[in-house]
Amino acid sequence: MIQAEGLSKRFGELKAVDRVSFDVRAGEIYGLLGPNGAGKTTILSMIAGLLAPDEGRVTIDGIDLARDPIAVKARLGVVPQEVALYDELSARENLRFWGGLYGLRGARLAKAVDDSLERVGLAPRANDRVRTYSGGMKRRLNLSLGLIHEPRALLLDEPTVGIDPQARAAILDLVRAIAAAGTAVLYTTHYLDEAETLCHRIGILDHGRRLAEGTLDELKQLHGEGELITVRGAFDAAAARGWVAGDATIEVVGAETGTLVLAAKDGAAARILAKLLDGDRPIDGVSIRPPSLNGLFLKLTGRELRD
Amino acid sequence: MGLLAGMVRKDLLRHARSPLGPALVLAFPLIFAGLIALTFGGSSGTPKVRLLVENRDDGLASQLALAALRDARMTAYFDVEEVGVDLGLARIERDEASALLRIPNGFTDAILAREPVTLELVRNPSERILPEIAEQVMAVGVEVLDAGARVLGPGLDGLRGAIEGDGWPTPGTVAAIATAVQSSAQAASTLVFPPVIALEVVAAAGNEPEEQGSTFSIVFLTMLPGVAVWALFMVGDTGMRDILTEATAGTLRRQLAAPLGVREIVAGKALAMAALALISLTILAGIGAFAARRPVDAGAFLALSAALVLAVTGFSAVVYGLARTERQGSTLASIVLLVFAFLGGAFVPLDSLPASLRIVSRLTPIAWGTMGYQSLLEDGAGLSGVLPSVLVLAGFGASFLVVGMWLLGRKAARGVVA
Repeated sequence: MIQAEGLSKRFGELKAVDRVSFDVRAGEIYGLLGPNGAGKTTILSMIAGLLAPDEGRVTIDGIDLARDPIAVKARLGVVPQEVALYDELSARENLRFWGGLYGLRGARLAKAVDDSLERVGLAPRANDRVRTYSGGMKRRLNLSLGLIHEPRALLLDEPTVGIDPQARAAILDLVRAIAAAGTAVLYTTHYLDEAETLCHRIGILDHGRRLAEGTLDELKQLHGEGELITVRGAFDAAAARGWVAGDATIEVVGAETGTLVLAAKDGAAARILAKLLDGDRPIDGVSIRPPSLNGLFLKLTGRELRD
Repeated sequence: MGLLAGMVRKDLLRHARSPLGPALVLAFPLIFAGLIALTFGGSSGTPKVRLLVENRDDGLASQLALAALRDARMTAYFDVEEVGVDLGLARIERDEASALLRIPNGFTDAILAREPVTLELVRNPSERILPEIAEQVMAVGVEVLDAGARVLGPGLDGLRGAIEGDGWPTPGTVAAIATAVQSSAQAASTLVFPPVIALEVVAAAGNEPEEQGSTFSIVFLTMLPGVAVWALFMVGDTGMRDILTEATAGTLRRQLAAPLGVREIVAGKALAMAALALISLTILAGIGAFAARRPVDAGAFLALSAALVLAVTGFSAVVYGLARTERQGSTLASIVLLVFAFLGGAFVPLDSLPASLRIVSRLTPIAWGTMGYQSLLEDGAGLSGVLPSVLVLAGFGASFLVVGMWLLGRKAARGVVA
């Protein structure tokens, strides 16, 4: 349904997106996972027709965005990261306006507005001005504006940023329901748990490049994910690499002054740990974490997702 | 069409629910014109000369002169107050009167004796026009007194004897004085009656005398069109600035993701702004027509308003097509509009500008708008009367709009505002 092929975008000297390709099937939730600045929003902007890619192409439902942007936009629902609503208007008036932009008129528009209000649980406050809403209510309305025309594909840019757990859970349930109804959902997030629990497939992004793609299980299997050992102390990178050189059960994921990150295979973590601590090495602390998406991200990028 | 109507409806609803900005801009011309009218117009019609009189004579001639100043025809222009000796100057210094007339001791005697005598008029230096009127009127009065004293010479001699004598004058003395006055009058009648020259005041051809409103309403109506036209440009600025407000709020970006072109989005914003301007204009024109107390030619008003709204829309589109941020746009619009306002007669009547500036003022849309609405409100002009303003404003508007839409469209397409 959504196909991105070799998308690239440069802002001056900065290459924000570098030859990124993926596709999202109908009924699937595809997560773009990456830290702030990884290029997630730029990719969404190119797919939504808000930014022209320097290279690559986007097709939605088989229609090339560059050739027929209006037809593509009519099939897309876009939910921006910021709450983009008219505070002076009510939820109903907001929905009527945005529905009108997507060509809904008369009874069809009225029904779509009522259905949207019911779907996001805002019917009782439908006629109140948006400025009186809580943050969670605004987020739900923000989401419903992108759905009022029942799009074939939905772009969600970090829709749960800054809201309480209850509202977040409600939005995630809604996204699952939308996908279950056959909509292709492209979902960007930097929350690992959202990517793990919500997305059918995940693309990991960093510095504008797609580092890996697959289901959570595929990603772990593909990259031989094991336990990650992080060692901290007063050492330099070259010396630290030398401590584990020649050991086939261990892979150096990252090494810099004061920090060494290792990936241990096949339960080798305990043995490696014993080896490191046996001797007079300047080590101040060691941590071990089980296989996880964060661990995978750390392994792929050499840094924590929250960095 | 439904799409654009929806965009206009949305923006008008938003302005209606946050009306402070447009309301303040709309209130400004009314407050400004009202304050100017209160300052320079007042509400009591033609201003009067406040004349103090120090009468040191207390004789017949001075009493007659005071009675003449208090005549009903004179009280329309003069407020005369008799003050004690040597008190008048202090009142003038306190700015309580326009002029002080000093009638010297022995004034009546001098008149009766046909001897030279001097009346002293002290002008208030802080006023210019009213003391001048007092001086001119006093000069005419002195001429009349002098001529009267000369004509009635023999009669005055008898009158003097009667006044200075003891007791009541005898019937014979009164008859002698009356005879002398009659003889003098008869002798002068060939010179004085009937008047050879008369003055008749008529209106210029084609201009029927009209009922004048109060000075307040005259000044208010003089100032209102210019300030209102300027304010309308400010309303336009508020309306078009909204495109950058929406860019900041993220709603413009969201609209650009919808299946419509950049031109439609910009056109929708321009139409909403035009509708807001038209509503504002109708309110201001309604108040102007009420103050003028005369109906306004509907066709002329609609044509002029449509042309002005086009100019306002085009101007705002150019400003916000050039500006990158709300602050930049608002600063640019304020500076340009302030210059336009001064040159265009919004704050200073066009007739008061130097000739060289009056030529430059024709290059501003505010001048043409001001002239058009002045013709409409003050002169009751019809469509033909405002046609030059309509054509020039429409020309300004069309040119501005083409450039502005191109700039805004290019900006939105490049994602600068998205």
